[in-house]
Amino acid sequence: MEKVPKILVVDDDPDLVESVKMMLENKNYEVITAYDGIEGLQKAKEESPDLIILDVMMPNKDGYSVCAELKADPNYNNIPIILLTAVVSHIPTTTYTQRMGMEIEADDYIDKPVEPSELVRRVDVLLRKG
Amino acid sequence: MKEFNGSRFTVHGQRTTVHGKRLTPECYGENHHMLKDANILVIDDEAVIRDGCSRILTKEGCRVKGVENGEAGLDLITNKGEPFDILLLDLMMPGISGMEVLDAVHSVDQSLIVIVITGYATVESAVEAMKKGAYDFIAKPFTPDQLRIVVRRGVEKRVLQREAEDLRKEREKSLKDIAYEKSRISTIINCMVDGVLVTDRDSQIVLHNPAATRLLEIKSLPIINKSLCQCVKNEGLVKAVATTLSAERSKYLEISQEITPCEGSARVFLRADTAPVLNEGGEIMGSVTVLHDITQEKELNQMKSDFLTMVSHELRAPISAIQQQLSVIEGGMAGLITEKQGKMLIRAKERTKGLLDLINDLLNVSSIDSGIVVQHKESIVLKEIVEKAYQLMEPEAEVRGIKMRLETSDPLPPVNADRENMEEVFTNLISNAIKYNVEGGGIIITLRSEGEFVRTDVTDTGIGIPEKDLPKIFDRFYRVKSSQTRTVIGTGLGLPIAKGIVEAHRGTISIKSKEGNGTTVTVLLPKASE
Repeated sequence: MEKVPKILVVDDDPDLVESVKMMLENKNYEVITAYDGIEGLQKAKEESPDLIILDVMMPNKDGYSVCAELKADPNYNNIPIILLTAVVSHIPTTTYTQRMGMEIEADDYIDKPVEPSELVRRVDVLLRKG
Repeated sequence: MKEFNGSRFTVHGQRTTVHGKRLTPECYGENHHMLKDANILVIDDEAVIRDGCSRILTKEGCRVKGVENGEAGLDLITNKGEPFDILLLDLMMPGISGMEVLDAVHSVDQSLIVIVITGYATVESAVEAMKKGAYDFIAKPFTPDQLRIVVRRGVEKRVLQREAEDLRKEREKSLKDIAYEKSRISTIINCMVDGVLVTDRDSQIVLHNPAATRLLEIKSLPIINKSLCQCVKNEGLVKAVATTLSAERSKYLEISQEITPCEGSARVFLRADTAPVLNEGGEIMGSVTVLHDITQEKELNQMKSDFLTMVSHELRAPISAIQQQLSVIEGGMAGLITEKQGKMLIRAKERTKGLLDLINDLLNVSSIDSGIVVQHKESIVLKEIVEKAYQLMEPEAEVRGIKMRLETSDPLPPVNADRENMEEVFTNLISNAIKYNVEGGGIIITLRSEGEFVRTDVTDTGIGIPEKDLPKIFDRFYRVKSSQTRTVIGTGLGLPIAKGIVEAHRGTISIKSKEGNGTTVTVLLPKASE
């Protein structure tokens, strides 16, 4: 039997983590969770998930930094990352890039809230690619 | 010995009316009326001369007064309310001589015309009198015609004198007026809180007030007659003045912009309105810029929008979570639900979605207010943007059976704009065209070049906007209330946001509509400069 893909969901809002987890588990993915950037980074390294869903606005370490750090590490830069953005399109990643002086290389962006079918579709696309 | 005597005059029973009028040019504009209303004093010790003059001249319409010696005459000249125009003065009189009277008279009234009456053989004394300022002389004996002629000449002179005097006064007055006006304008300009900066055609500063140099933080004074780019550190302002000055005759260009005194300093914000100064022929003679300090407004606006952003984010997070949870339950991922529960959850999700849209719009408004929108301008092809918005909205249109069509004329020049903003604008406009349409209606989107602009029209066959609502349609939170719009979910922020974005790109947005007959929204965006 094929190995069930493991997905790491990182968000500081436990309710959101819970609902995303249920959406993914419903499709038989294995879901692990983290509640801030630091924990997320640690779990990403320990558990080597097949995909990471990462909230942008988090205390301690925001999603952009986590994403940038993982992408800069040759051991983890092949893990697809979906950034969960709650910010309106007007404060786009380009602004952040300009401000922080670094390129964000997330594999996809999803606006919160997301419909279950849409989330699963995007996850499937990235996993198939990998 | 007098040839001239009373018997030669006809005495008229009818007395000439003495008018209270002052001698004016109109009174004797024509020769035969010349003497009318002239005010004449005769000083002669001989009663027959006085009476004779009086008779002849009164007949001509003059007012004549006669006195028999110099003292009485001087007394009249000095104390009489109404000045005399002509003085007929005998030189040879007992008491004060005519010469002395002449001297005295001219020290009182320079303009009084004096005609001396001399004896037949005393030409010398006449010459002397003329040297002393007498205007003319008449030798005794004289005929009525001679008298009339000499008096008439005197009156003519008097009139010319008056006219010259009036003209001189007028000129003095207008010079005074100009000087006064100038000082008044400079006083007004100097007292203004707003800065005023005037340049000539070559961008040289020709006029400014203290507020202008203060607001622009110009330290090296004076700046009069210096070129603008030498004194002003803000490139935007220098450029705006240059653009205004080089505008074509037919185009009256007014540029309004927000600037900072020096490029990069963000402490002070000014609004600079630059307009050309035209001469009577409509040619551009220079430019005038009015500077208004908007630092406080900006700060307040910033605080307001920070607050709005904060509140919106705080609202958005929990609603997002609720929405997400509702999706999970509704999707049956947390256990089976009944059909009725499912319907209610769908409705609940629609409501939370409406709430999220509102918050998103609020965030958009605040980001427009804080000027975020104009930060990532690039040269973009508007057609691509509109096509993207078109595709995004297509499914929604299909649901309502609305036919959409996109018409463009190729090739269209690019516009200088923020991509995401433009997507927002056109998604918004198309969404409105769908939402406020009728089942099976139509939408036509056209793109074409129009002068300096790329013009986009979004036309729908929808319910239209009542005339009374049109002026307010771009107001925040304004929504047309009718039975048809009640079921449409909207925030009343879509059009104001679109307007904010378009205007931040120096474009214009306008709307034409007739209730029941559809709506056309027109967006003009300036072409990107080569």
